[in-house]
Amino acid sequence: MKNIRGSDKDKVGFPLVRETSSRRQDRTSRIRRVVLAMGSIVLVLAVFIIDVIRKAVDVESSGLGLLRDVLLLLGFILLWFLLEQLTRGKRFPPLRILGMLLIATGIVVILSVVLATGVSDNFDVKNNDLLPLGFDALFVAFLLGLSLAFFAAVVMRSLRELVLFKRRKHSRRNLVAFFVLLTATGIVAFWLKPLEENTLMSILFFCTLGLAVMNSFRLSWIIYLTKREKVITLVYSFFLFVAFVILNVLLNNNTLISHSLLYFSDILAKITVLACLFGNIYFGMTFVSTLFHLPTAEAFDRKTTEVASLHNLGRLVTQVFDFHDLVETVTSMTLQICEGGSTWLELIHSESVGTAPDAKAYIAEVVAMKNISLEEIEKLMLPAGDVRDDVIKTREMLSIDDVEQDRRFAHVKKGGATIGSLVAAPLVSRNGLIGILYATKKMSYGFFKDDVDVITAFADQASIAIENSRLIKKSIERERLMREMTLAQEMQKKLLPQSLPSVYGIDVDAISTPAFEVGGDYYDFVQLDDRRLGIVVGDVSGKGVSAAFYMSEVKGIFQAISRLHNSPREFIIHANEALSSSIDKHSFVSLIYAVIDTSSGLLTLSRAGHCPMLHVSKNKVRYLRPGGMGLGMSRGTVFANAMQEESITLAAGDVCIFYTDGVTEARRGDDEYGYDRLLERGKASAGKSASQIKEEVLEEIKSYTGDHPNHDDLTLLVVKWMGPHAAAQKVPS
Amino acid sequence: MSEFNISQRETKDVNVLEIKGYLDAHTAPKLEDAFQGLLKSSKYKIVVNCKDLSYISSAGLGVFMAFVEDVRKNKGDIKLSNMSPKVFNIFDLLGFPLLYDILADESEAINRFLDSKPIIPGNAKK
Repeated sequence: MKNIRGSDKDKVGFPLVRETSSRRQDRTSRIRRVVLAMGSIVLVLAVFIIDVIRKAVDVESSGLGLLRDVLLLLGFILLWFLLEQLTRGKRFPPLRILGMLLIATGIVVILSVVLATGVSDNFDVKNNDLLPLGFDALFVAFLLGLSLAFFAAVVMRSLRELVLFKRRKHSRRNLVAFFVLLTATGIVAFWLKPLEENTLMSILFFCTLGLAVMNSFRLSWIIYLTKREKVITLVYSFFLFVAFVILNVLLNNNTLISHSLLYFSDILAKITVLACLFGNIYFGMTFVSTLFHLPTAEAFDRKTTEVASLHNLGRLVTQVFDFHDLVETVTSMTLQICEGGSTWLELIHSESVGTAPDAKAYIAEVVAMKNISLEEIEKLMLPAGDVRDDVIKTREMLSIDDVEQDRRFAHVKKGGATIGSLVAAPLVSRNGLIGILYATKKMSYGFFKDDVDVITAFADQASIAIENSRLIKKSIERERLMREMTLAQEMQKKLLPQSLPSVYGIDVDAISTPAFEVGGDYYDFVQLDDRRLGIVVGDVSGKGVSAAFYMSEVKGIFQAISRLHNSPREFIIHANEALSSSIDKHSFVSLIYAVIDTSSGLLTLSRAGHCPMLHVSKNKVRYLRPGGMGLGMSRGTVFANAMQEESITLAAGDVCIFYTDGVTEARRGDDEYGYDRLLERGKASAGKSASQIKEEVLEEIKSYTGDHPNHDDLTLLVVKWMGPHAAAQKVPS
Repeated sequence: MSEFNISQRETKDVNVLEIKGYLDAHTAPKLEDAFQGLLKSSKYKIVVNCKDLSYISSAGLGVFMAFVEDVRKNKGDIKLSNMSPKVFNIFDLLGFPLLYDILADESEAINRFLDSKPIIPGNAKK
């Protein structure tokens, strides 16, 4: 024992605290058991010695008799507690209790029969008292008394377990009443001489018996047995009943046994007799009850498995996200109902065929099958006009009692069908039919109503589970994409200028916000030389990722060639050549490019299909719109000829507003913010800084659109010309 | 959300697409399908009537650019007509009038096709 513990500790390595506390508990209960066992043995031995002395010395002392009775009773009380200790916290299944009891009863019966037939009664009956005539009688009395009394304790313990298997309101009360009356009978017996009887005794005896009968109706444990277990119970209870009958006959009619027992202890004798009667009645009742439960056992079994599998499936729905595991489990659970038949699960994929929107075809994909091959399924299910079509059409469960007689299985030869009956249950989710669960049995009329109900329930659960697993897959995928997009967003932010250019004479501010994570808007600045600053704002057609890619390409082109060309028009023509070779034919980029000469305030502007620049000067507010077309729309001379260039000389305090269509097309319902509102806002910008103007425009757009989120990328760039500065002929680095 | 519809008819060998509502990234595939259908059945004389077109985004404009090349290769054209001033402004900003025939009236556009010598103002994507 010690060794095993040691190795256990090494192997498992429990936390120290738990180990010691459980060990302590172990030790105290072991000590308690040893004390109880030793106590009862010592007491019984003491009684035996007293009896031997009594017999040897042949003294008649009622005091000694009383002492032995008390000691013996104490011994048995300790024994009872020992039994309690040994079985404490354990719950034996009824069948095991019955089995153990049968063995115990068998031993006791054999012992009793052997002694009853082999040994003769050697007691002297005198004045309702028993006197052993020899030491042999004393010995036999002790052997029988001990074993029978111990047996009685075991019987009581077992019956208590069975009676209280499923507690009802009064089950405990009735059993306690039985034990109280049993004890009372014993106490009365204590005052009487072994063979003496009186009315009180008889009344108590019969009342106890009555309670035994009442308690014998507590047989609910039988219901929960499987059919096989019920059959075993039937056999066990029969033998137990017979064994108890033999015991009772011996206890009441065999003088050796009854005398030995009464001599051993009249109290325990009464209790033993009553316990055996209780056992007799109880197992008689068990036998009859089991017999009546047997016909429904199968149905009960099935119901139990159904409940269990539904429960399992229900748990599965929330736990299993692996699609393959899921369909495997669903089909194996369905198979349990099929009794040697087959089952399979198909997913139905709808696929539109041709251009007509209502011509739909379905593709059935078998994802799991049990007891059937794909060829057999294909042979059974024709491509058209079969059960599958009907289920898809009606979305209702279909049950065919006799496959051979059904028109949908006319292609299956008469007598050649391997299946007799079939159930097809649809898997319906929020988005419609997603699959069909089939179950077949070999015999026709094989599926009862409750079978069909369970299969339908399986199909329902399966559809939820499949839907769940799909959603989870989707959400994982979405999360991954979200992470990617967040990354892309950060990358793209870095493509926009990280700081504004600080150039004497120019006050500038800009903002760009994509409608989605990434967008196709672009703005940038370039220091062409120490006098001139280039400002570009662009918009790639479309939105999202594709636009973002072109946006980064535009940035590359701008950074690469803007310094090579002094005129905006030249730059745009070259940018178009660079971009056209790589841009998709339905995509284009609109761009506006202005170069400001800080020494003179001359602004030169070219526009490749982009929104016109708003020029706000003291007495005039207007859009500047030189001709041109979007980058990527055409190449060569067509593009170059269309491209114009316009120049204006800015006066100190003039404001130029560059923007993308996210500004003018900011929407409220069907209305747009539009050019006129922007123009009015420009008019009101006198005396304000570029930042202020930017904020005011944004604020106005925000209040204009209200709750509608901006549906387009939005970029706004405001330049304010402060006038040529005497010292600003040079741009500080 | 945004509604977009196309109705199609054939007048004197010229196919007219009447587009209605919002043409943006969501609805552009509808117009693409319509063009694809026409090209499949070798119809290259196409007039797009924009009478009820209330908005067109860059993705919508892209649809015309995607098909005009193939159509012109087959001696046909995509002509646009009946634009509201607002919609015309969007086309105009991008320089579409430099590449496409944009006419005030549908019949005018059809007649352009019937004149033996089509006047194409520019060649898209040489």
